[in-house]
Amino acid sequence: MFSLSIIKDTVAVQPSQFGVPADEAITAELNKKYANRVLHDVGLCICVFDLTQVGEGKVRYGDGCLWYKTVFRMVIFRPFISEVVIAKVKSSDEDGIRLTMGFFDDIYIPTAYLPQPSTFDSNERAHFWLPPGEESEAPTSQQLLDSPVADRMYIDQGEVLRVRVEAEDFYDDEPGPPKMAEGVQVVRDPKRAPYNIICSIAEQGLGPVAWWLEAQQTGEDDAMQEG
Amino acid sequence: MRDAVETKSPLLRQPTTMEVVNPRSALLSNYEVLTLLKELENDHLERSKTAMRIKKEEDSLSSSTSIGAAGGTQHTYHHNTNYLPDISENLRTIQVEAIQYLSSDYLPTNSQSPSGISQLVKDLAPYDLTKAEKLQIVNLAPTLPVELYVIVEELEDRLGDSMDAILSTVKSSLPSPLPPPTSPVVTMNGTTEQPQMIFTSTATSLLQEPTTTTMTTAAATSAVWDDMDAEAIIDDMDFIDHGEGAGIEGDLDVEDD
Repeated sequence: MFSLSIIKDTVAVQPSQFGVPADEAITAELNKKYANRVLHDVGLCICVFDLTQVGEGKVRYGDGCLWYKTVFRMVIFRPFISEVVIAKVKSSDEDGIRLTMGFFDDIYIPTAYLPQPSTFDSNERAHFWLPPGEESEAPTSQQLLDSPVADRMYIDQGEVLRVRVEAEDFYDDEPGPPKMAEGVQVVRDPKRAPYNIICSIAEQGLGPVAWWLEAQQTGEDDAMQEG
Repeated sequence: MRDAVETKSPLLRQPTTMEVVNPRSALLSNYEVLTLLKELENDHLERSKTAMRIKKEEDSLSSSTSIGAAGGTQHTYHHNTNYLPDISENLRTIQVEAIQYLSSDYLPTNSQSPSGISQLVKDLAPYDLTKAEKLQIVNLAPTLPVELYVIVEELEDRLGDSMDAILSTVKSSLPSPLPPPTSPVVTMNGTTEQPQMIFTSTATSLLQEPTTTTMTTAAATSAVWDDMDAEAIIDDMDFIDHGEGAGIEGDLDVEDD
């Protein structure tokens, strides 16, 4: 889930911070700039791990700051593809389930990655999975919605899921240089998260942690009864 | 104004922009991240306490001795000269939220120990597991076959016989099947969800611990990863930490501009 990235940057330490030991001031400045931000194709920055190289602080013309060239290591959140992680359900809609880890919540499970057969119940605002019965054909979503409620396995809000990371998607929000021909007119796309993780629960062992815990326990009970 | 890099006057030559040298130089286990974040949290709490104390002392000083204009200016001088690095909101937010996630009761991280993890990694060495699989076993501590099944690809073909052995190894690396009763953190969030409470109790329990032990534990766990796969993080070799503030005094001769 987490990794270290080596990053090079130049930071300015404000004169008001000159009383602080330089390394602490630099770390604070770097954290201010990077913490809780997404670096394109790198991941979500958590905090500075350590400073590996710091040059001499220099004063530039124009301000009283000390500018330091630094090389530092950053703790990055970026689960690798196929990694198994644990997250909570934040919300559900027709397109799938959105998950959260508290500090990061752009994690999605599209309907294609839900266990089959499953469908979205708009009354409960939750997806449910119907344990397969005798019929061999895949039921339609209408048939699924007609199924007895007691049989349905709901994936409710706040439930803890074990998911596999299937894909990641970085989106650079940088608007680019303004085009003179268009004037100052600003056309904004709907806001898109800079970093999305696409996950799957369509696999044995994935999905709500509680399901598998129960399955394991009932399995053991059966074995006990047999033995 | 603080984001000086973006708001410099055009007279200035644009300072060198940020550059990512290596996006993934090493992998960190959840435990290492949690330890680091808790250390930071600890530091921050101690600092804000000291700051509060200093402020109180200054206040009482200025109120008891009725100083005129000269005292006033001195006070503002103190106020402006910070002896503490200011901590940004962004860092606080992610720190608190990540600690909450990592110490939640559905992750084993909070009950793990550095010695348990290093023992686990040593015990896993004989099995033919990849680095990523070992990392996930450490992070998730699977105790059920089905949990191991999702982590290890083609589990049955590769280690059909040793599956139970791996699971028992993982179990033994955890202090007990249930979270230890000694830590108030786990017992509290076991039944009810009180994220704020969890966080504060974590911080206070840490306060009683000397910082040096947490420092060494972090070092111990990273040493484990270094042993385990030395060649994979070989590019890390140039970045040996010389300790606090090294490089500031030492690197004065570095050719910059």
